[in-house]
Amino acid sequence: MNLLPSPEQQQIVDTLKAFLSEKAPVSRLREHGALGNPDQALWQELGQLGFLGLGLSEDSGGVGLTSADEALVYREFGRHLISVSVFGATLGAHIAAYSGDQGVLSSLLSGTTTVGVGNLFSDAHLHQEGCSGEFHWFEAREAQFVLLLDESGAALIATEDCADRRKVNATDASLALERATLRNVKPRCWIGSEAAQIHTRALLLTAAYATGMAEATRDMAVEYAKDREQFGKPIGSFQAVKHMCADMAIRTEAAQSQTFFASLVFAENRDDLALQVVSSKIVAVDTALKNAAVNIQVHGAYGFTAEADAHHYLKRAHVTDQLWGDLRTQRIRLLSLSPTAQ
Amino acid sequence: MDLDFSKEDQQFREQARDWLQDSVPKDLRPHHGDAMRDYDKEWQKTQFEAGWAGVSWPVEFGGLGLGLTQQLIWYEEYARAHAPDNHLCFVGLNHAGPTIMACGDEAQKTAHLRGILTGEEIWCQGFSEPNAGSDLASLKTKAHVEGDELVITGSKMWTSHGHLADKQELLVRTDTDAPKHKGISWVIFDMKTAGVELRPIEIMTAPNLPHFVQCFYDEARIPLCNVVGGLNNGWSVAMSTLGFERGTAQIKDQIRYAFLVEQMIERARKRFGGANLQNDEIGSRLAQLRAEMAAARAMTYMVVSRAKAGLQGSESSLMRAMVGDVQQRVRRLAMDIIGPEALENPEDDDWVYFYLRTFSTTIAAGTAQIQRNIIGERVLGLPR
Repeated sequence: MNLLPSPEQQQIVDTLKAFLSEKAPVSRLREHGALGNPDQALWQELGQLGFLGLGLSEDSGGVGLTSADEALVYREFGRHLISVSVFGATLGAHIAAYSGDQGVLSSLLSGTTTVGVGNLFSDAHLHQEGCSGEFHWFEAREAQFVLLLDESGAALIATEDCADRRKVNATDASLALERATLRNVKPRCWIGSEAAQIHTRALLLTAAYATGMAEATRDMAVEYAKDREQFGKPIGSFQAVKHMCADMAIRTEAAQSQTFFASLVFAENRDDLALQVVSSKIVAVDTALKNAAVNIQVHGAYGFTAEADAHHYLKRAHVTDQLWGDLRTQRIRLLSLSPTAQ
Repeated sequence: MDLDFSKEDQQFREQARDWLQDSVPKDLRPHHGDAMRDYDKEWQKTQFEAGWAGVSWPVEFGGLGLGLTQQLIWYEEYARAHAPDNHLCFVGLNHAGPTIMACGDEAQKTAHLRGILTGEEIWCQGFSEPNAGSDLASLKTKAHVEGDELVITGSKMWTSHGHLADKQELLVRTDTDAPKHKGISWVIFDMKTAGVELRPIEIMTAPNLPHFVQCFYDEARIPLCNVVGGLNNGWSVAMSTLGFERGTAQIKDQIRYAFLVEQMIERARKRFGGANLQNDEIGSRLAQLRAEMAAARAMTYMVVSRAKAGLQGSESSLMRAMVGDVQQRVRRLAMDIIGPEALENPEDDDWVYFYLRTFSTTIAAGTAQIQRNIIGERVLGLPR
């Protein structure tokens, strides 16, 4: 039993950290505003490095690692606020692999085909014969497919199969957002929920992404508290500020531990899989939201500006909350799960 | 990263499970007094005679000398079997015993370690004072050397079960001129020594039954050879065993509280109806706490993982701070689920007493605020 990354896992993480620090510093969002997906250029490189097929078997063209490795990688994606389109790439590859569509799979793994993320907006119906309902589409403008998933299964819809789309201004302005209405659109790829535990995997990766965001905001707040001086001292020496930072660290430790643990339970397909993963999404998203808010407070008036990166984390935290069911939905789901003997 | 346990570990788990299933006391643990002490001593003796006492104690001192993984397994099984904590043995097993192992001389080890392990020798703590709580190093209880004796005068506060204990681990100031961390000594104090007087202090759970005592020392004399780790070296002696168990024992509480949340979910379903809980404030809090108890357990695994890798530092305070808060919220929610019945305090009450007891989880062994200072300064590197 060991929740710490192995040396091999750490190597993967370090490779990705180095890549993202160079290619995707969070400051990129400052310059880009609402001009579209600034991460579009990353996909092919991430594909070449193997990050888009990390958890897929080598037979399917992936790297053959587990959900635990995927979670470690998603933590870095969250830390850098990588476009949520990355969920489309990873989960889309799982869908294409399980549905046996080699053509779609290889184009996804190479990053040449991109996948937007659809999130159920109101009552929707997903089925292999046809999907209907109203959705939020993230990052779908330049994408060939959109990922849709719920507890019944997961679909890749061709964006060209849906005519009823309209652009809306996004709260998280670094993401392109549309509202799309589907009327019995047949998916290009479909898998049932049993295959690849796709819905649970989506929740786990969201938890990992939110954990990375929580770590990033904790670190931002701590750095600022060490640096910023008032009354002739760093503000982090005052207990009022120090304790806010400590609380961020406590919550983040909870989110990280639970997400790592859930990712291992997922890899072993244990009986308590759903309970652990839903718990991880609740704790991690709750932490991402709280830390994002506290980070703004620690930064004072500067934290309230568009120029500081703090607001990006807050807005993205709300996106991760809504993805595949918000805190309220997840809590209802968690309460309905029966306890296990684990 | 893995959740693997070796075949030997699995066998160990089965042995522990079998023994606990047959041996855990059937009667509920009394909350107070001699009955509680007798119960705890008996249960410790039972564990000792079967060879299960001192799971984390080194073999040379009569323990099982097991590694962190097996300690974790033992405590998981302990909690699963609903085995009671023998709190009266806690200070001896987790503080005084390990301190004597680490810093004591041969005579001190021979005199005390076995008795602690068998449950015959009950220890209490004499650290806090009326004016030295969070700022422990400012303690003022004085001791001076007279021949081969140490003469102690002063007062100690918040000594849990002091009236039921045989020995006390006592911090005294033996050099009043030295800087405050430097002039302290860690001594073994016999509670039957002449010149010590105990004033019982009731706690908020139970009128008329003391939990703490305040100890008054009026020129109480103890042999100089009861100083552990050298005169004026007491601060580093006291710090030497902090985190002795490295978090493994905490898993018991995580499992117990997770179990408690499940009981509360059942109780809430009965009282409010399952469907009504869905959009209800109580249902939302229950689900949140179910998730957080899962996280508390994962945090404990993280603490143990770090300790196994030799990385353990102040990070374990993150888990402790989280758990203190969550336990309070679980017990508080139980009050809301019970409803008006919580205003009654029947003999067999299993809820209100423990609700009130959890107010200590953010005070004892370093307040939540002191822990946040430690996290801020030692984990995050913020300035003092």
